[in-house]
Amino acid sequence: MPTILEKGPPSWNGSHYFITDFMQRVLLFSVIWLIFTAGAAASWWIGAPAIACTAIVSLRLVAPVRPSWNGSLRFLAYFLAKSFLGAVDVSWRALHPALPIEPNLIEYPLKLRHKMARVFMANTVSLLPGTLSVSLQAHYLRVHVLVDRKTVLTDLETMEKKVAMMFETGLAGTP
Amino acid sequence: MTPTDWFTAMLLGLGTIFFIAGAVGLIRFPDTYTRLHIATKTDNVGLGLIVFGLAVQSGSWSVAGKLVLIWLLVMLAGASVAYLVANGAISRGIPVWKR
Repeated sequence: MPTILEKGPPSWNGSHYFITDFMQRVLLFSVIWLIFTAGAAASWWIGAPAIACTAIVSLRLVAPVRPSWNGSLRFLAYFLAKSFLGAVDVSWRALHPALPIEPNLIEYPLKLRHKMARVFMANTVSLLPGTLSVSLQAHYLRVHVLVDRKTVLTDLETMEKKVAMMFETGLAGTP
Repeated sequence: MTPTDWFTAMLLGLGTIFFIAGAVGLIRFPDTYTRLHIATKTDNVGLGLIVFGLAVQSGSWSVAGKLVLIWLLVMLAGASVAYLVANGAISRGIPVWKR
């Protein structure tokens, strides 16, 4: 892995990260268990140990992240609107008799350094209008665009800023 | 039909249009990359609309919650698999179709 990538906070060094991050996972998995079992009280005999084990394993596998609530809500609103437009746009092009597409490959200079935020960004890009992530590299994201337009880069920049805000992480080259 | 039924009917209809457009695009689009565009985006939004339309009918927070979980999983899987297929295609040198 390239060394420029920022690592998440340590999860197993006994610091104050551990308890809050563990409780965060427990809360998340409890909600999922509650949905699965429709709130059956007897199910918690199995659920509680399962949730505890899953929380421990998940902290080992995925370093703790602390997304900002405000940033997440703003991202969500933007993402829902944009992904809907993305589906409308590509559907219209598929059904149009002339098939109005002009595909190309572009390289977007990625400024996100936080590892999970970069993967998140790559996945998000594929659901936005006219863009598809093809290759995530250390310094750039290769993107297949359905229609080669100048606005694509600024759209990606806007999205990258929203992702950075959500993960509360900085962008390389900006203060 | 109650207003909720109309709401559901509208969302299911709209969702179906996206799935049909997705199927048409899969046939009409010229290469792997463009097909991935349509498969990922229309599935995500089409399923989202259908899930939302069914969730308001379920009358149970548990069923509605399961439907939303399914949608989130499909969204995550769709975006990740689209990346893997596109990445596999580019590293095997499959050319990008150009007009």
